Amino acid sequence: MEKKITITVNGREYKVSAGKTILESCKEIGIEIPSLCYLKDVSHNASCGICVVEVKGARTLVRSCVTQASEGMVVKTNSPSIDEARKTNLELILANHPKDCLICERNGNCELQDLTATLGIKEASYGKTKPIEPIDDTSLSLVRNPEKCILCGRCIAVCAEVQTVHAIDFAGRGLRTKVSTYQDKGLGNVACTYCGQCALVCPTAAISEKDESRTVFNDIYDDQKYVVVQTAPAIRVGIGEAMGMEEGALVTGKMVAGLRKLGFDKVFDTQFTADLTIMEEGFELIHRIKNNGTLPMITSCSPGWIKFIEHFFPKSLDHLSTCKSPQQMFGAVAKTYYAEKLNIDPRKMVVVSIMPCTAKKFECKRPEMNSAFGYWKNKLGLTDKDNFFDVDYVLTTRELARMFKQSGIDFRNLDEEEFDLPLGISTGAGAIFAATGGVMEAAVRTAYEVITGKPLPSIDLKVVRGFEGIKEAELDLDGTKIKVAVAHTLKNARTLLEQIEEGKSPYAFIEVMTCPGGCLGGGGQAIPTTWEIREKRAASIYREDSLKPIRKSHDNPAIKEIYQDFLKEPLGHKSHELLHTEYTERGVY
Amino acid sequence: MNTTQEIFVETKKIDEIIASNAGKPGELLTVMEEVQEANEFKFLDPASMEYISCKLKVPLSQIYSVATFYSFFNLKPQGKNTIIVCRGTACHTKGSKVLLDDLSVLPGCKDALDSGESSFTTEDKQITVKTVACFGQCALAPVVAVNSVIYSNVTSEQILQILQNLQEGKKDENLKLS
Repeated sequence: MEKKITITVNGREYKVSAGKTILESCKEIGIEIPSLCYLKDVSHNASCGICVVEVKGARTLVRSCVTQASEGMVVKTNSPSIDEARKTNLELILANHPKDCLICERNGNCELQDLTATLGIKEASYGKTKPIEPIDDTSLSLVRNPEKCILCGRCIAVCAEVQTVHAIDFAGRGLRTKVSTYQDKGLGNVACTYCGQCALVCPTAAISEKDESRTVFNDIYDDQKYVVVQTAPAIRVGIGEAMGMEEGALVTGKMVAGLRKLGFDKVFDTQFTADLTIMEEGFELIHRIKNNGTLPMITSCSPGWIKFIEHFFPKSLDHLSTCKSPQQMFGAVAKTYYAEKLNIDPRKMVVVSIMPCTAKKFECKRPEMNSAFGYWKNKLGLTDKDNFFDVDYVLTTRELARMFKQSGIDFRNLDEEEFDLPLGISTGAGAIFAATGGVMEAAVRTAYEVITGKPLPSIDLKVVRGFEGIKEAELDLDGTKIKVAVAHTLKNARTLLEQIEEGKSPYAFIEVMTCPGGCLGGGGQAIPTTWEIREKRAASIYREDSLKPIRKSHDNPAIKEIYQDFLKEPLGHKSHELLHTEYTERGVY
Repeated sequence: MNTTQEIFVETKKIDEIIASNAGKPGELLTVMEEVQEANEFKFLDPASMEYISCKLKVPLSQIYSVATFYSFFNLKPQGKNTIIVCRGTACHTKGSKVLLDDLSVLPGCKDALDSGESSFTTEDKQITVKTVACFGQCALAPVVAVNSVIYSNVTSEQILQILQNLQEGKKDENLKLS
């Protein structure tokens, strides 16, 4: 049985679970202690001084986020001295924070703003003391604005401890302390994976996605352009939250309706190319197993992970599946297969992706992601200066929410609509790409039937579901036993890669997702994203899967059609040209 | 690692420094200190920091964090001679700001220090000017350290004389700790 202790809070005795901090114990009994830098499971460096409380016998106020509650402890969470300390500490933080909330992208979704209101701060008592550092917009994915930084350290903690990337750290000292990269080079010039978890945990707008929504609006308004949009599986469980609905709300139909209202010419589903990925990746795995290829094979859908392995484990790049991510497959297919079908000039087509991900913004601008241009180059007599990318813009869940709001779309009350055909047809296997373990489960649903020629005994592969850091399973493919593993967060990916480099990996197939929980917890998702919220989004994703009439990628009729009419066969010539890719050794710098 | 970087400290030397400090507490700090010392221009150059990061398996962002925290570490080449002007309270009241301003005869010095740079080095790499919070010699204020020798009760005339002597390559015999 769980051990309990007795503590006194504000004059009343409570039994609470042992081994927790004062802040957590108080939360357990319904007393909220205001806090700022503390973030459950991520950061507890006790730098802000907001969560201070009185503990009987202690000389000074103590920080409840790092102080363990103990048997018999007598705690006060409100008193004149506590109130004064909290207010003073917050006012000191506010001294150097700009007061331009009205024109800030986190207006209405800012922890500093909320706390200022909660504590009833009415005036800015202190003047600015810190020099203004330049904005870092060196990367294609993220923008850092040091002026808005309150030095809480959450971004540093998530980058170091959850992702083991260490792209940022505190630099300088005293008033010149700032969060920065090695030599202040900027995120675009160091080993940053652009996963965006820093932006997801930032209490203010000190780190945010590079907003491209204005450019997308301009293309939508341009009659000469044919603008198609694809939506990642995780958007349908994230955009509802960003539009003020309940956590994990499953809003596929409303999302489609909203996108159509924004003026996109076609609304398609990245789940279609998730199914296509399963075909290509499934066949690649079978090919590798049968032909003594490099094993374990590791999934390549998650662009933060791709950049991570390119930086930190360049020797292991052969283990990556050569399949492009579903987003990139979509761009390549839209500007070839679909453009041909519609008989429109691929140069006039604009492909916009809605992704739960900031790394995708970088992925779509990788120089090799121009397969459609290669496809059309000779046919249309193009030269290199006509070069275009397969995917033109990537918008995060948060940017899409901004577009909906700016367009006056009453999201909650939209009638549900269906995706356009044919690139909007998908299966349950495509949907579960949003959750850690989903690609593995989807791949197994197809690979099992292809290898054994028999229907899968049970479609739900529950053993790879859930949020355990590394999950493993043994699969029996008609006598051939293979071990597989699923990892989310780059820390867990690192563990599996170290195993590979030591020659001790027992696996044939590994799924890696960069972000905690998979794409549903991606760096471009609605803020806040906590473990409780991730659970709800995952539940919605598995519900979406179970509601789909078709749940295996190879049974998708649109997939059958694209192979019949265009690609011919998995791993065929056209697939290699359009759907597969190569990687770059980057090293750490 | 960037292969086009200039090498200031041979990797063999860094390897020796790392080996002699292996397992000791504060390993990173000592290694960084000794590597800076081994650099002719007394600074941590990018190639050295990147090599240390790789060998000690300490992320570059963390090495940069340490290097920018301690004023002892330099990230830019230092001059052959160093003038450190104390900017502690006692020295300030006795006119150390004036001494610092006197050094603005070195072109660019005032601009660099006013903009918050921690040090300024002349283009010919002969002289570096730095400030320090306190030497602990407050009774002798204002205090200036020139190549690690402390000069006390320094006047504008004296600091300009010292500067001239350094520029002419002379050893200064006229000013002693009083």
